[in-house]
Amino acid sequence: MSRRKLADLGLDLPLLPTSTVGSFPKPPELVEARAKAARNALTRGELDRLERRATEFWVRTQEELDLDVLVDGEQYRGDMVAYFAATLEGFASGGLVRSYGNRYYHKPVIVGPVRWKAPITVEWWRWTQALTGRPVKGMLTGPYTIMDWSFNDYYPDRRSACLALAREVRKELEALLEAGARIVQIDEPALSVRPEELGFAVEAMHTVVDGLPAYYIVHACFGAFETIYPGLLDLPVENLDLAISHSALDLLAMFEKDPFTKDLSLGVLDVHSHATESPDEVAARIRRGTAVLPADRIWVDPDCGLKTRTVEESRAKLAAMMAGVRAVRAAAAAAAGR
Amino acid sequence: MELILASAGSYPRIGDSFEAQRHRRAYAERERGAISEAEWREVEDETAIAVVREQAAAGLDVVTDGQVRWYDPISHLARHCEHVQINGLLRYFDTNFYFRQPVVSGPLRRLRPVLRRELEVARSATDRVVKPVLTGPYTLACGSILEGGYRSRRELARAYADVLAEEVADLAHAGVALIQVDEPELLRHPEDADVVRDGLARLAAVRGRAHLALYTYFGDALPVWDELMTMPVDIVGLDLTYGPKLADRIAEGGAPKMLALGAVDGRNTKLETAETLFRVLDRVLPHVRGPVALGPSCGLEFLPRARARAKLETLVRLARAYTDRAGRTA
Repeated sequence: MSRRKLADLGLDLPLLPTSTVGSFPKPPELVEARAKAARNALTRGELDRLERRATEFWVRTQEELDLDVLVDGEQYRGDMVAYFAATLEGFASGGLVRSYGNRYYHKPVIVGPVRWKAPITVEWWRWTQALTGRPVKGMLTGPYTIMDWSFNDYYPDRRSACLALAREVRKELEALLEAGARIVQIDEPALSVRPEELGFAVEAMHTVVDGLPAYYIVHACFGAFETIYPGLLDLPVENLDLAISHSALDLLAMFEKDPFTKDLSLGVLDVHSHATESPDEVAARIRRGTAVLPADRIWVDPDCGLKTRTVEESRAKLAAMMAGVRAVRAAAAAAAGR
Repeated sequence: MELILASAGSYPRIGDSFEAQRHRRAYAERERGAISEAEWREVEDETAIAVVREQAAAGLDVVTDGQVRWYDPISHLARHCEHVQINGLLRYFDTNFYFRQPVVSGPLRRLRPVLRRELEVARSATDRVVKPVLTGPYTLACGSILEGGYRSRRELARAYADVLAEEVADLAHAGVALIQVDEPELLRHPEDADVVRDGLARLAAVRGRAHLALYTYFGDALPVWDELMTMPVDIVGLDLTYGPKLADRIAEGGAPKMLALGAVDGRNTKLETAETLFRVLDRVLPHVRGPVALGPSCGLEFLPRARARAKLETLVRLARAYTDRAGRTA
C-alpha cells in the first residue's frame, strides 16, 4: 500500500481499510422532496435541510458500522455526470436517456467551451468532514467519463473534449485540496469503453492530478477491463477501485498474469443484487484478493455506489462486509502473532 | 436511385414530459406490484404503437416497434430460454447503457415464442413495413457467461442460432418481408466471422420468403468488408459514423449486396446537415446498384426521445432534398 503517502498526508488506516464508493440510497422523504423541488413545489432551503439530515444519517451509519474512510453519500446528487455538467459552463441539460432497466438520466450536452466557474463539491465535503473525526473522501467525476457520458455538439472530437474537461476538473480538485481533503476518489466508470482511447484518458488524468498532493483512488465499474489491462496501470493514481464481486473475480486472474502495481480497492458487494452477502462470502472474496496482492495493498468496499439499494439493504450489506473484513483482519493478526 | 428510409432498431420509450413518461411510471408500479401483468402489457403495447406511429409520421418507409419491451439487447431473448439465468450488469459496447449478462448452465431450449406477438402489435399500428429485430446468435454468445452445456462460445452461438431460428420461422410464417439480425460483436471479433456466418445460415434456412438484413454498428466494418459481402443475407447494414474509409471502400469497389447505410449518427445529438449527409451519399450511391436503405447508424435509444424524432425528421427531409437534387441533375 502507498502507506508512506498516506502517512505523509497524516492518515493512519488499519489493515484492509474499508470505505464505500460514494452514493447511498436517499431516504423516501428526500426522494419525495427532490421530486417536489423539481416541480418547484418545495423551496431550495427545505430541500437543503433534508439533504443535510440524510447526509448526517449516513455519516452516523458509517461510523456505527465502523467504516474507516467515509463518504458524504451524495444525497444532493442525481447523476454523477449531470451533477458536474450542471455547474460547469458550456453544458446544457439534455433529455432523458435510459441507463438500464427503468433507470434514466438527463444526459448533458456540451454546447460551448467548458469552464469551471466555482467550487462544485467543496461545500458538501467541508460540511460532512466537520461531522466526523474520520477522513471523508473528496468525490469527483473524471474528465473521460464526463466526456463519454455527454453528447458533444461543440468540440471537434472526443480527445479535445476530454482534455478541455480535465483542465477544468483540476480546478475543482485544487479547491477540494485547499479545503483539506486528503483522499480523493475520481470516478471513471467509462474508462474501458474504447480501449484505443486509454492513452488520452491517462493524459487527462495527468492533467487533473499532477503536482497536487492527495491519495488518489480511481473508481471504475462494470467495464471490460481485460481490454485495458495492464495499460490501466499508467493512470497516475495510488489506488484502483474495480468491480469484482459479480465478475466471478476473473480480474484477479489477470493480476496473476500481469502484476498489479497499485493499491486495489476490492469491490466485494454486488450493489445490483437485493441479496445480502454473507460475511463468509465477503471474507472469501477478500482472500482471493490477498492471494494475489499483499493484504496491506488492499482496501475493501462495495462494487459501486449503493444508491440503487434500499437503506436497509445497504446497511445489511455493509454490516456483512465489515464482519467479513473483521474476520480476515483477526486471522491476519493471529497469524502475525504465531 | 431509390432510397428506402429505414429504422435501425431501438427507439426511446419515454420522453421528457410527464405525459410522455407513462411507461416509466408503469414500470415502477409493476415492480411494486401495484399493477397487474395484464395492465403492464397494455402499457407496453401502447408504447410500441406510439413508437411505430412516430417513426411512420416522421416519414420512414420501414419501422420497428422500437424494441420497447426489451430490457436490453442481450437478455431479452436469452431470458426465454431454458438453462439461462440473468446475471449482473455489464456495459453495452461503448455506450452508457448496461445490459444484464445471461448465464448459460445447460442446453438451450426456447421456452416460449418471443417476437411474434410483439410483431402483431406493431403491425396493427401502421401500414408501413414493420421490421422485427433480433440480436444475432454470435452477439448473444459474446454477451453471455458460459458455465455449462457447451464447451465454447462457438458452440453456444450455434445453440443460440437454433433458438433464434425458431423465432425466424415464426416471423416468416407470419409473413414478414424483412428481418433484421444485429451482430455488432462481429466488428470486435473479425476472427469469428465464420461463427457469424454459420449462425446466419441457420436463420436463412428457415426464413421462408422474408429477407434477412445483417446489421453491424459501433465500429468500423472495413476490416470485415469481404466477409460481410458473402454472408448468407440479402442486406447488410453499416455504421458509417466511424470514419470515411468505409464509404471510400464502397466507392472503389461497389457492393454486391443491398446496403443499409447508417449515415445518421444514432449516438450523438448533433443533427446532420445536407453538407455532411450529401457528401456520404455522393460518395457511395453512384457505385451501388438497386435500392439502398438509409437510416440511423444504430438504434436510436441512446438519444433523448425528442432528439431521436428530430434525427428521423432530418433524415427524411435531407433524403427528399437529395432525391430532388438528383432528379434535377439527371
